[in-house]
Amino acid sequence: MKRATTVLGLALLVAASIAATAIARPAQGTGLTAAEAINCRGASLGFAGPLTGPAAFLGQEQISWSRFAVLQYNKQFKTSYKIVQGDTQLSASLARTVGRQFVSNPNVLGVIGPSTSQAVISSAGLFKNAKLAAVSGSATRTDLTTKGKFPTFFRVVPNDFVQSPSIVNFAVTKLKAKKVVVIDSQDDYSTALSKGVAYRFRLKKVQVTTESVAATDTDFSSLVTNIGNDVQVVVFATQTAAAAQTLSQQLREQGKRAVVLGTDGAYSPGVFKPRNGYVSSFAPDIRLVRGGAAIVKAYNAFSKNKTFGTFGPPSYMATWVLMTAITTACRDGAATRAEVTANVKRTNLPSILGGQVRFTAKGDVAGAKFYVFKITNGKYTLAG
Amino acid sequence: MDWEKLVQIIVNGTTLGSVYALVALGFSMVYGILKLLNFAHGDVLMVGAFIGWGVLGRLGGSLDPTVPVVLLIALMMVASMIGGGFLGVAIERFAYRPLRNAPRIAPLISALGVSFFLQNTVLLLWGADFRSYDTFDLVDPFTGLHVGVLNVWIIRLVVIASAFTMMLGLYALVKKTKLGKAMQATAFDREAAAMMGIDVDKVIVKTFFIGSALAGAAGVLVGLVFGQINHFMGFNYGLKGFTAAVVGGIGSIPGAMFGGLFIGLAEAFAAGYISNTFKDVIVFSILIAVMILRPSGLFGKAAVSKV
Repeated sequence: MKRATTVLGLALLVAASIAATAIARPAQGTGLTAAEAINCRGASLGFAGPLTGPAAFLGQEQISWSRFAVLQYNKQFKTSYKIVQGDTQLSASLARTVGRQFVSNPNVLGVIGPSTSQAVISSAGLFKNAKLAAVSGSATRTDLTTKGKFPTFFRVVPNDFVQSPSIVNFAVTKLKAKKVVVIDSQDDYSTALSKGVAYRFRLKKVQVTTESVAATDTDFSSLVTNIGNDVQVVVFATQTAAAAQTLSQQLREQGKRAVVLGTDGAYSPGVFKPRNGYVSSFAPDIRLVRGGAAIVKAYNAFSKNKTFGTFGPPSYMATWVLMTAITTACRDGAATRAEVTANVKRTNLPSILGGQVRFTAKGDVAGAKFYVFKITNGKYTLAG
Repeated sequence: MDWEKLVQIIVNGTTLGSVYALVALGFSMVYGILKLLNFAHGDVLMVGAFIGWGVLGRLGGSLDPTVPVVLLIALMMVASMIGGGFLGVAIERFAYRPLRNAPRIAPLISALGVSFFLQNTVLLLWGADFRSYDTFDLVDPFTGLHVGVLNVWIIRLVVIASAFTMMLGLYALVKKTKLGKAMQATAFDREAAAMMGIDVDKVIVKTFFIGSALAGAAGVLVGLVFGQINHFMGFNYGLKGFTAAVVGGIGSIPGAMFGGLFIGLAEAFAAGYISNTFKDVIVFSILIAVMILRPSGLFGKAAVSKV
């Protein structure tokens, strides 16, 4: 009798294990177990960006717009989404730590960001394994999407494959550049972008000199000394508008003719304000977009008139994309990360910057383009 | 030989080196007296830069200053020196003095803590945006020295002259005054100095005040010549200032002055004649070479201990 009870017990244990395994099988082909689906009342979005450190201006603008998006969305759709902050400080290793925190937090159903390309490279592999969607409003390095390494990574801004020809065409056709200097700031974003820009200039038979500065440099005077007076344009791939401003001032101080054409990281009307210069941007200035005035007014009221450039509105859209995807996944009261990712892929939303937000199969935003602004005495006007 | 380029590079390097030297002096003075590496020193520079920016704003800003430009710059310097000095005294009183007899690692960690505290306080108070001195609106970029293609903006000359004046003033203070002698005595042997009737606590406070005042002034000079300031700027200047102090011989005042100028010029020459990409590698290679050949720095004295 005792043996029979033991055998029965073992049989029940085996049956229970088999049943548990069956239950734990990927739910509806999502790759996640049903047990991992979370109750939507606690659903949160991770925010991965530089909230402190040298690029804090970027992260602070983005998180402010993301908070604004959450506030508006929660009010409109009676949801209660929250943001979990992750400070990457412009450091790849910290971005990985932040990535791990988000992956291990079951309430996080999507990630806004990471803000910078180097942060995406170091953390998007973790998101891929966790089937966690990450939607960036500013990481533009081309191969983040083209190589297919990060299938859960999306961006609402165009990539540098679009930016390089925009810059080169503008410099050659509008500025008649024959001799240029291309400077990178020694990070994943700027090295790839400046390489692409230099390559395209050479294709157009423009004489190119390449230079490199550290991201923390605040003085470029000796580099400027080496720039000849026959150079017309200095393309500066940087993530800090202040660096572009200093470079521009030092060119003027040493009586050089060249003007600075900053890449998207330099777009900041309050900081990069040379007497004469140019800057490219992945987004139009929302203040100049039709219908943008209402949202700018609402944002100003929300942020108590915090200044902003072009980093905030795309972050708002990235947040909105994720919240829409979560809401759709949450129709049955619970959602998995894989469901949210699948919904992000199917996004088709009107953008506050005009047009629609839709993603290509690789995760790039469809049909986006870069804009070049002319800066005269600090005033920005659309030039190309 | 392109002489104009050479002179321009020397001016660039001396400008940068003057700032490094002012920062290095603070590191060296505090280390000389307390044997403490004050890693918050770069952040005192940052606070000084913000004080200067605040004064500039209060007095009408760069576009429309309410006082003459020379007076405005002088007021910015004085305010940042006073503010920086008192900040240094507060740091000493609350972060270092309670740990004076603790193991040496404790004040070092405390210094790092103060550094983060100052950075984040400024981040909280003024936000993460870069702030600009807009010096070009204050002083035309074409005012200065122009010979051929050589252009030296007058603000660079002001920075160099101010830094040298402060350095020479400090040197005279240390060599010629009673306070300077008390500082030297305290640095030589704190206990013996106390036994000889020197109020060591007062000397330490005054040393912190002077060193931090120089850092505050350096902050304004950085703002004037390079234009942009933010809560994180102290890290880079602190690192370079510390390197300069070590190259010159930490604890030595002439060493800190020389080290600062040496690092600034090395950086400028590396960027101008070799490669801007590798300028930091070149500078830190020099540091390693100096440490191998003269572990106590170029002006430092080898420590002798009784065994």
